[in-house]
Amino acid sequence: MYRSQQLALKYFTAAMILFGLMIVAGLLASTSYVLDGFLLNKLDFSVTKMLHIDTMIIWLLMGFIGSVYWFVPIEFERETVGIRLAEVLFWIFCAAVAVVAAVFIFVQYGRSTEMSLWFINQGRKYVEAPRWAAIGITLVVVVFIYNVVGTAIKARRITGIMGVLMVDLIPLFGLYLIAFPSMTNMSEDQYWWWWLVHLWVEATWEILIGCIMALALMQLLGASRRVVETWLYIEVGLVLGTGILGLGHHYFWIGTPSYWLGIGGFFSALEPLPLLGMVVHAIYDAGAHRMKTTNRPAFFWVLAEAFGNFIGGGVFGFMMTLPQINLFTHGTQWTVSHGHFAFWGAYACGVLAVIYLALQKSRSAQQLDGAAWKWSFALLNIGILGMVGALLVSGIAQAFYERAMGGSTLQAYMQGQTNVWFVQGIVMRLVFGLVFAAGYVVLMYDLLTTGKKRVTAEVLQPRVAGGPA
Amino acid sequence: MTAAQMLGTSLLLALFVLLAGCYGVLYCLGRLRASRGIGRAALTAYALQGVTAGLLTFSPLEFWWKALLLASFVAYLPIPPLTWRLLESLHEPGEQHS
Repeated sequence: MYRSQQLALKYFTAAMILFGLMIVAGLLASTSYVLDGFLLNKLDFSVTKMLHIDTMIIWLLMGFIGSVYWFVPIEFERETVGIRLAEVLFWIFCAAVAVVAAVFIFVQYGRSTEMSLWFINQGRKYVEAPRWAAIGITLVVVVFIYNVVGTAIKARRITGIMGVLMVDLIPLFGLYLIAFPSMTNMSEDQYWWWWLVHLWVEATWEILIGCIMALALMQLLGASRRVVETWLYIEVGLVLGTGILGLGHHYFWIGTPSYWLGIGGFFSALEPLPLLGMVVHAIYDAGAHRMKTTNRPAFFWVLAEAFGNFIGGGVFGFMMTLPQINLFTHGTQWTVSHGHFAFWGAYACGVLAVIYLALQKSRSAQQLDGAAWKWSFALLNIGILGMVGALLVSGIAQAFYERAMGGSTLQAYMQGQTNVWFVQGIVMRLVFGLVFAAGYVVLMYDLLTTGKKRVTAEVLQPRVAGGPA
Repeated sequence: MTAAQMLGTSLLLALFVLLAGCYGVLYCLGRLRASRGIGRAALTAYALQGVTAGLLTFSPLEFWWKALLLASFVAYLPIPPLTWRLLESLHEPGEQHS
């Protein structure tokens, strides 16, 4: 195994630990909705929510980085350039995340000074990490780009997938720089902040996961390079065509000109179209292999990615993306429901698929299967479906009673918070959050143990037909 | 837009995309199993999507959004067959999955 792949495994380990922290923070935050005064003045909702969101971003980012470090040496048939520097930065990255988490938990907030901005919290949702840590993340991404581009130069070759990936790394880095300036005009600040949040999530991350899934499908199903590269180009074109100006659906109510209502609504309405193509592709592949593969967990997580992306991003997004509907739904639990489902489907499932793929190779397991991954797959997916369903009920209650009937007054807001549908949805979200947490525990057990036992040739016989090339 | 109209319209919008997904999934399953029954179910899902689009024309959405919905309803029709054909042409015999 290449050192780059050993580093990938470290990234995956860190990602899975942060995934667990994200769940713990999410459970604490959702308990705050159910129990009044829960951890008040000790670990407030604002802190647990921040931890929940930030760990989500970092674990996915670590999953992506790990995936790329896993595939780069395979693609270029050589060790990744600058791997020693990447290894050092991995530990610095982990230490920085630990320090930031400790500051968020124990210090929490500071005075309105530059000092707080640099060492406690930058105060912008999703990118709250203090400025020193944000610079550190930028440095990690710079080294990451150097690793990938440097390896391509040294190998004197470039593949279609790696070409797309390298181009994508430029905005991945560039857009993060928007996390730094602090603007006093709220509309201006929100305008640029959405560039970072939306264009990371619905453009650069989409392409990154597209490249990663293309590489994964070649390993998992032995798919030909021509097939996955052609498909990648089509999907990148469609996702960019609809995703970039889909940014407009975040500009509806932040003080931007009214033409964003038309632009945002139009391109958002087109966003489900490429997702339907992905679903067709997933079923085609599943049919071509008759659901047979030597790595069933990875295969099912790939399928979950296609369907989760379509339903979470496409169906749940379309339900509330047109401006006339969004007027009532934005900022309610309805949006939260869509966010949870879309992130899970589009990214988390894909990262989990690659982790299983890497484990099979690193443990030289001829086949990955068993009961544990099925339990974790079922519990995690039932958990997320239950959570998004419950949040949807709460969100609809908010939009219906607080916004549409109550006219968004403070009194209507308070009444909305005590509405029986809202409250029951919030309670059920916590219940299904616990189901999801149980799924995580089983997932960790499976990741730690899977592929370590030798499987006999007789047991393998029925399932190797669709194995990797 | 009243509260009831808001809720009804948003649920119809969700149903619109969900039925498009059902149409895509059933179309693929019909092709995979060479089943006419599943193929008919796919067309039924697409027809129901058309009914949903029709119902949405009675919603309080502005004219241009209704036009966009009807146009996208038409656009959904060729996506599964075209994608399928593209995938088949890409997977030439020599390049089948191993």
